[in-house]
Amino acid sequence: MLGWIVEPLIAPRIAAPLANEPDGTTPPPTGAPEAGTRADFADIARDHLDRLYGFCLRMTGNPSDAEDLLQETLLRGMRAWPEVREPARARPWLFAIATNAWRDTARARARELVTTTLDDDADEFSLFQTIAIEDPFPYSDELHLDFLRLFGDEDVQAVFGSINPAFRLPLILTVVHGFACKEAAAMLDIPLGTLLSRLHRGRKQLERGLWEYAVANSLVTVTDEEGDE
Amino acid sequence: MIDCPEAVRRMWSYLERALEPTPTDELETHLDTCQRCCGELEFNRHLRAMVAEHEGAPNVPHEVRARVDALLAGDGKGGRA
Repeated sequence: MLGWIVEPLIAPRIAAPLANEPDGTTPPPTGAPEAGTRADFADIARDHLDRLYGFCLRMTGNPSDAEDLLQETLLRGMRAWPEVREPARARPWLFAIATNAWRDTARARARELVTTTLDDDADEFSLFQTIAIEDPFPYSDELHLDFLRLFGDEDVQAVFGSINPAFRLPLILTVVHGFACKEAAAMLDIPLGTLLSRLHRGRKQLERGLWEYAVANSLVTVTDEEGDE
Repeated sequence: MIDCPEAVRRMWSYLERALEPTPTDELETHLDTCQRCCGELEFNRHLRAMVAEHEGAPNVPHEVRARVDALLAGDGKGGRA
C-alpha cells in the first residue's frame, strides 16, 4: 500500500515542464503564468473528485487500492497540468491518466488484465431471455423490471466486480461515466472495434453475473435444471 | 435483414450511438418488425440505467478527502498510517 506523498515531490515537478519535444528537448514556455497553476489544478481535481474516486474504486475493487490509484492519478495530473491547461477537457484527461496509472500498476503487480480470449464472442447468454423462460415472478406485469429491482448497490457492485477487468473497464467508462465509445477507446488505447467487442463481452458477463448472483443469493427461485437425485 | 441474435449483439453499441449508419439502419429496420427485440432493447436501457445508478459516484471517505486536500495544497499534512 502506498502512503500519501505530499512534499517534496510535488512543487518541483509541477514547475518542471515535460520534455516531450520530438528531439527530446524541453518544450518552449507556454506563456501561461506560473502562479495559479497548482490552484487551477486543485480546483479541477476537486470538481471531478467524486467521479474520479468512484472510477478508481470500481477499477481496483477495494478502497485501499482505490486511494493509491487516486493519489497516483493526482500526482501525474499535477506534473502534466502545466502543459495541458484545458479545463474543458479535464474530465476525460483525468480519467485517461487514471486508466494508464491503473494499467501500469496492474502490470507492475503482474496482474493479468485479460484472462480470456478477448475477441471470442461465444458467450451468448441472454438475461432477457432467461428471465422470460424462468419466469421468477409469475404474477408480474413487469417481469424484467422486477428482476432488476431486486438489486441494491452492494449487489450490483458485487456482480460488477466479478467481470473481467478488460471488459469491465469499457463498461465503466461508457455506461457509468458516460464517455463516448470513441473517447473510451482513446483512453484505453485500443481501436473502436475492439472497444465495442469488449463492451459486448462485458455486457454478457454482466448479464450472466446478475442472473447467477440472483440464483445463488435466493433472490429468485428457479426450477432445478440439474435434476434431483 | 438481420436476425434477432445479430440485433441483440448490436443493441448496446446502438444505445451508445456508436454504430455506423448502415448497421443502425439494419437494426432499426429489424426493430420495426420484431416486438421481442424491442422489448429486449428497452430492457437493456433499464439495465444500463441500473448499472449507472448503482456504480456511479460513491461518497469519498472523509479521511481520503482530507488527504486529497493536503496533497493538492502541498502543505505536507498528507500521509496514511
